[in-house]
Amino acid sequence: MELLSASTGSYPRIGDRPEQQQHRQAYAQHERGEISDEEFEGVQDEVTRGVIEEQVRAGLDVVTDGQVRWYDPISHFARKLEGCEINGLLRFFDTNFYFRQPVIRSKLVRRESILKREFTFARGISKSVKPVVTGPYTLARLSINRRGGGFQPLVDEFASVISQEVRELAEVGAELIQIDEPAILKNPADFQVFEKAVQKVVTEKGDTRVALYTYFGDATPLYQKLLKLPVDVIGLDFTYSPKLPDAIARFGCEKELGVGLIDGRNTRLEGENEIIDVLKLILPAVKSERVYLNPSCGLGDYLSREVAFKKLQNMVSIAEKARKLI
Amino acid sequence: MREKLERLSLKLPLLPTTTVGSFPKPPYLIDARRKFADKKLTAEELKKLEERVTREWIELQEKIGLDVLVDGEIYRGDMVTYFANNLDGFKISGLVRSYGNRYYRKPIITGEVKWQRPITVDWWRFAQAFTSKPVKGMVTGPYTMMDWSFNEYYPNRREACLTLAKALHEEVKALAKAGAKIIQIDEPAISARPEELSEFAIEAMQVVTKGVDAYFINHICYGAFEFIYPEMLKLPVDNFDLEMSNSEFDLVELFREHPFTKDLSFGVVDAHSHVVENTETVEQRIRRALEVLKPEQLWIDPDCGFKTRTKDETIGKLQVIVSATKKVRERLSPAELKEVK
Repeated sequence: MELLSASTGSYPRIGDRPEQQQHRQAYAQHERGEISDEEFEGVQDEVTRGVIEEQVRAGLDVVTDGQVRWYDPISHFARKLEGCEINGLLRFFDTNFYFRQPVIRSKLVRRESILKREFTFARGISKSVKPVVTGPYTLARLSINRRGGGFQPLVDEFASVISQEVRELAEVGAELIQIDEPAILKNPADFQVFEKAVQKVVTEKGDTRVALYTYFGDATPLYQKLLKLPVDVIGLDFTYSPKLPDAIARFGCEKELGVGLIDGRNTRLEGENEIIDVLKLILPAVKSERVYLNPSCGLGDYLSREVAFKKLQNMVSIAEKARKLI
Repeated sequence: MREKLERLSLKLPLLPTTTVGSFPKPPYLIDARRKFADKKLTAEELKKLEERVTREWIELQEKIGLDVLVDGEIYRGDMVTYFANNLDGFKISGLVRSYGNRYYRKPIITGEVKWQRPITVDWWRFAQAFTSKPVKGMVTGPYTMMDWSFNEYYPNRREACLTLAKALHEEVKALAKAGAKIIQIDEPAISARPEELSEFAIEAMQVVTKGVDAYFINHICYGAFEFIYPEMLKLPVDNFDLEMSNSEFDLVELFREHPFTKDLSFGVVDAHSHVVENTETVEQRIRRALEVLKPEQLWIDPDCGFKTRTKDETIGKLQVIVSATKKVRERLSPAELKEVK
């Protein structure tokens, strides 16, 4: 078995140093119409490059593009769809971050590719970039349905959109695609709807491996059900779940596991032993070839840049120590 | 809770009108705060301006005819950071994203949280000196302070929250000692993790309010209180101030199912919209609330603080609150009034 250190998603796009204000300034200039779309895109490319290089510098085996171009994980997808509008701000789960809520008016149709270009760009910088896609269940759950017709058809339509995204990402060379489904943890009664959506999303993935990540809640009650999903990797947030390590030790894990033991929403740096003690408990139960040590969630909307980098460095050094356990 | 108000010698009309806390800062004050941050203005110079604006808002509230006043929180940047800066045990983080292109500095608990000296008492005294109407003491609650801060020191959220509660209890005691009879605890985050309400949030509020003889108001905004209703009625406060106009939820239906057992400050105007509501709309909202609440339970206010509105919008909305409430008061039936006695 190998233990890899991985990013979970977003990464801070600005920092506190004067030279790290580029994205924020260009964003404001673009809003005021002082720079063109192309110029702003150029800045986003450059900031994305910096964010990828910074994760590589921290020593990560698997990185992301930091989602530098995303307004938020929901509207980034919804704004490219026909049949929906983008509404006001709403708190994103129980975090300090706000997203814009989609309002569904009619049938959802994808107008254009959403992630293809940004992933192609990022992969040109590092081969270890993993694209991250918000899952259909979470997109539907966080939308306001004003067209009627029930929740299930809405999830189905989002699932079609996301399966097209997955197909395109696979076509342009993604080897591992991460699907984020935080919303299922607080809505376990919807598991059947959710499961159907996951099945649809993976239909056209080809040989590409898919990771399903959940966070912002306790995954313990759903753990065994998550293991049965048609995905290759299950990613779990351990910060809400005191009983999760025991559940893994008890029920085992046939899939690859993303271990979100690094708190992506707190500035405190984890102690080596507190992480290694949990790994000692769960690693013997994992029967697959790979385990990823990663933050509990993306860092970009919850931590400052300086702390995010320290968190990743600390995680990499813990992962190195932990490899000796295997 | 009219008995408690009377015992505290608070003579308030039926359907008392009030506001949630913050008022807009004039441009010259925003400019002065920036200069102060750049060290181009002294703390004394800034304070002079803050006092001037605070006094203006007290006079405006009197003139408009509100019954329970606030100091306007002109001296605060952010409701959590303000208290974090004035308690021991906090540092402030680097820039963290809030939404879009907005970033803020989030407090970090790095050591034992302790209350050293009164934080808001001087401002309360300053504001109260200009009016004979009661001015509310305003304190950010322990759960929100915990939830909106990083925690590097305490082993878990419960301990951080309960320690903050002890510190804020000292502030509440100091406000009561200075003469504040109505104290508002702001807990916009309280529904963040509904399971924590019974695990420690109610206990924390008990710690904050215990043994303090005041009428306590608990302000909860950002909707979502329906997830903690009716359990939140166990919070040891006298009055809940709930954001309503931004909620998709039908409050009246909810209260039909589970009667509301405390007093309620009912947010009848939208503090996040530029449009000033008309009197009839606000009157209707108040009447709707009276379908499920007794007049003696009901207070009338906006749904949130006004710090993002202009001065004129704020005044417009306050005038509508007062005029609509007066109309409803005049038309309360003798039976409804009798019930109050």
